[in-house]
Amino acid sequence: MLGVGASSPLITPNVGLMVWTLLLFGISLFVLAKLAFPRITEALDKRQRAIEDSIDAAENTRTQADALLAEYRERLQEARGQADEIVQRARQAGETHERESEEQAKARREQMMEQARRDIESETRKAIQEIRTEVANLTVAATEKVTRKTLTEDDQRRLVEEALSELDFSALASTEGER
Amino acid sequence: MTWTRKRIIIAVSVVYIAGLVILGIAFGKSPKANFDIQSEFKLTPWVKAGPLEINRGVVYLFLSILATLASVAYVSRKMQQRPNRVQTAVETMYSLMRDNISRGNLDPRMAARWFPFLGTVFLFLWWCNIIGYIPLPTNSEETINIFGVAVPSFALYAATANVSVAFILSLVVFILFNAEGFRKWGFRGYFKHLMPSGVGKLLVLVAPLEIISTFMRLVSLTIRLWANILAGHMIILFMSGGMAVILGITAIGWLTLPLGVAVFMFEVGLIASLQAFIFATLSAIYLAGAVEGGH
Repeated sequence: MLGVGASSPLITPNVGLMVWTLLLFGISLFVLAKLAFPRITEALDKRQRAIEDSIDAAENTRTQADALLAEYRERLQEARGQADEIVQRARQAGETHERESEEQAKARREQMMEQARRDIESETRKAIQEIRTEVANLTVAATEKVTRKTLTEDDQRRLVEEALSELDFSALASTEGER
Repeated sequence: MTWTRKRIIIAVSVVYIAGLVILGIAFGKSPKANFDIQSEFKLTPWVKAGPLEINRGVVYLFLSILATLASVAYVSRKMQQRPNRVQTAVETMYSLMRDNISRGNLDPRMAARWFPFLGTVFLFLWWCNIIGYIPLPTNSEETINIFGVAVPSFALYAATANVSVAFILSLVVFILFNAEGFRKWGFRGYFKHLMPSGVGKLLVLVAPLEIISTFMRLVSLTIRLWANILAGHMIILFMSGGMAVILGITAIGWLTLPLGVAVFMFEVGLIASLQAFIFATLSAIYLAGAVEGGH
């Protein structure tokens, strides 16, 4: 069945086939080594370089980004501090302003009250004077009717003055003044 | 899920057994045919040109070389920054050749020097082996008559199933690694390099063994590649019908066909690549052994 002998084609060396193998293998070795492999190697190396560069670039970018982030954080912190300070100052300013305006208002009110007091006082004085004059005149008229006698103007006045000086208006004046 | 799988298994089994029974009854046992497995591997000269005759093996060599060159040329032209799927696959193979076979066994300087050779060996053998599992109309011993033209029947054949191809490539490797050794150590130095140290007077006994073992590398390289591929083809042939023809029992062919398919898939999926890889890796190891270290 499996005639393994010198004549078996399975193990008979074939010189032609060997020569062809050498020839064809040599050609393909030459072509691959001179033309194909260098190009593939170059392309692969190039890509590897590109990948390495990309990784480096990415790392650089990340480092920069980190630095930037840190900087921004710092700035944010600063800004927050400043904002707090501004708010604080504004609050203080507001409080100061409030206090000042309160004081001003108080001063003005007091001033106005003082003015009013003075006005009332002067009005009171004027009224007392008028009452005095009126009382004197009435008294003169009354006396005339009673005595049927006309006193001289000077006598009358003297008499009234004397009478009035005995009356005490000071109490009235002081009550008016306190109001 | 399991129900359907069960049904499929049952259906396949029924078809398989029924086919066996039907073929067994229908054809029974016919007289043994005069089938010679060797003729499947016979090198019939097609074009006579002295020693450079064109035969089946040469055609397969040409096909393999064309496939090697075309694939590498295609890849080298299509190299781009962003790889597609095909290129990724080829690059994996390339890195297998460069990083695994060459740099894995040789120092960087030797790897750079020998990578083109080892790469070519690997790619060429890989294509030789793979093409060997594609049925091609190359069996001129058995012809089919199509409209009066005797077309060779389809056959599985491989250039590497020829002892001549495996031998000459092994011889090239053998010459190259010994040449590297002589170049590195000098004529006497290389022989000294081959000998183990510390054996004293026993060197007289050891020396012939070491010389023989070096030559055995040539034989083992040849036989490992050739016998593996040839045996694979033979088993596929037997399992896929050869046995039925020899024994004259048609049903045997049906019985062994699944095995034939399984072996075929095993050969294509593993052995074809594995043998190419082993041949190239051993070449690298031999080259490294010739120049490295020193006793």
